[in-house]
Amino acid sequence: MQREPENAGIRCQVQGVVVLTPYGLDIIESCLACKMRAEHIFCDLQPAALQSFESIKYATAYPKGAILFVEGQAPRGIFVLCKGRVKLSICSTDGKTLILKIAEPGEVLGLSASVSGKPYELTAETVDPCQINFVKRDDFLRFLKENSDACLRVAEQLSDKYNSACREIRALGLSHSAAEKLAKLLLEWSTRNGETHKAEPRLKLALTHEEIAQMIGTSRETVTRLFADLKRRQIVQAKGSTLLIRNKAALKAMALNQ
Amino acid sequence: MQPSCLSCDFRPDRFFCDMPTEALQAFDEIKSLAFYPRSSVLFAEGRPVRGVYILCDGRAKLSICSDSGRRMTLRVAGPGEVLGLGATLSNTPYEITAELLDNSQVVFVRRKELLRFLRERPEICIQIVRMLSQDLHGAYERVRSISLIRSHRPQMVFRRRAMVV
Repeated sequence: MQREPENAGIRCQVQGVVVLTPYGLDIIESCLACKMRAEHIFCDLQPAALQSFESIKYATAYPKGAILFVEGQAPRGIFVLCKGRVKLSICSTDGKTLILKIAEPGEVLGLSASVSGKPYELTAETVDPCQINFVKRDDFLRFLKENSDACLRVAEQLSDKYNSACREIRALGLSHSAAEKLAKLLLEWSTRNGETHKAEPRLKLALTHEEIAQMIGTSRETVTRLFADLKRRQIVQAKGSTLLIRNKAALKAMALNQ
Repeated sequence: MQPSCLSCDFRPDRFFCDMPTEALQAFDEIKSLAFYPRSSVLFAEGRPVRGVYILCDGRAKLSICSDSGRRMTLRVAGPGEVLGLGATLSNTPYEITAELLDNSQVVFVRRKELLRFLRERPEICIQIVRMLSQDLHGAYERVRSISLIRSHRPQMVFRRRAMVV
């Protein structure tokens, strides 16, 4: 009796009450009780819409390294990322993997494929243990038809994705060298943690060199070499997985290919 | 020439324009129609967003620019296409530059008015969502093909691709 099954947290459904799980995730069963809702573009729906969303979603938990969907697969539905991070990658025509972005909580994955009915255009793999709300495609389309407010939010999410795809195209198609792309990536990451205005911003490297290489479309060896070079020139300093940018101006110059 | 969208002959063929009469009447009220000579720039990358442009006729070149000033054409948009949609809905600066290739008739709708229009009409909103997904698909397709190009020898691969096609 005392021994709880291992997936107790996933099974225990006390309305709106947060239960600890083996992954260290607080599973939020009900969107209505979610505290982070207000910060997420998609989730911040009107009460009526939220209620009907609640009835069509499935709250699920995934371990690290799980594949949510694969590029080319027929769309099953959308995945709303509640907690954890998900790696979105694309396979180039010659078989190389390119990481487009690391999705953060609040993002809706598989959206455009589900709306248009075309195969998923990305592969989504969890980086951390994640909580994800899954909604079946038919249910989701019906939901959109009934809720114009949600529909606008979806449009907003799609626009954001489109903007970031444009950024990716710019970075890939118009940058000269891997050094330029790496410098841009580091600067972009340093602005995310609210360290923009610091003279020496600090950032946490959540990805391996291999994955960084896949983000900027180069090889693992090149990334390692570039990092060694940056450290030698005292532009960055590494402390474990934390990177300190010591010479922001030099990094900016690198990003502009000067 | 075609002051009202109601009298436009091309309407049924066009994804966005083909809306119910009632919606079209409301749309007529918020749109403004203008003629532009070729090579005028409808909007430029990085500029604050004003609204969407719908091409009634003519074509527009959509391009993207790097920080160092290099330019790349994404695609050429044709009649009936809605341009600047992504930026308008997310209220961010325009992410691309649109330049007309022909003398064109263009409909402009201000951001605020478009949003109000969409909020009142869920069926058109879904249409917009579909269009955005298509844009996104196109962009991903482009990413897929670009990532194949090695950074040090872009010319080579372009030529090889051209031969395959």
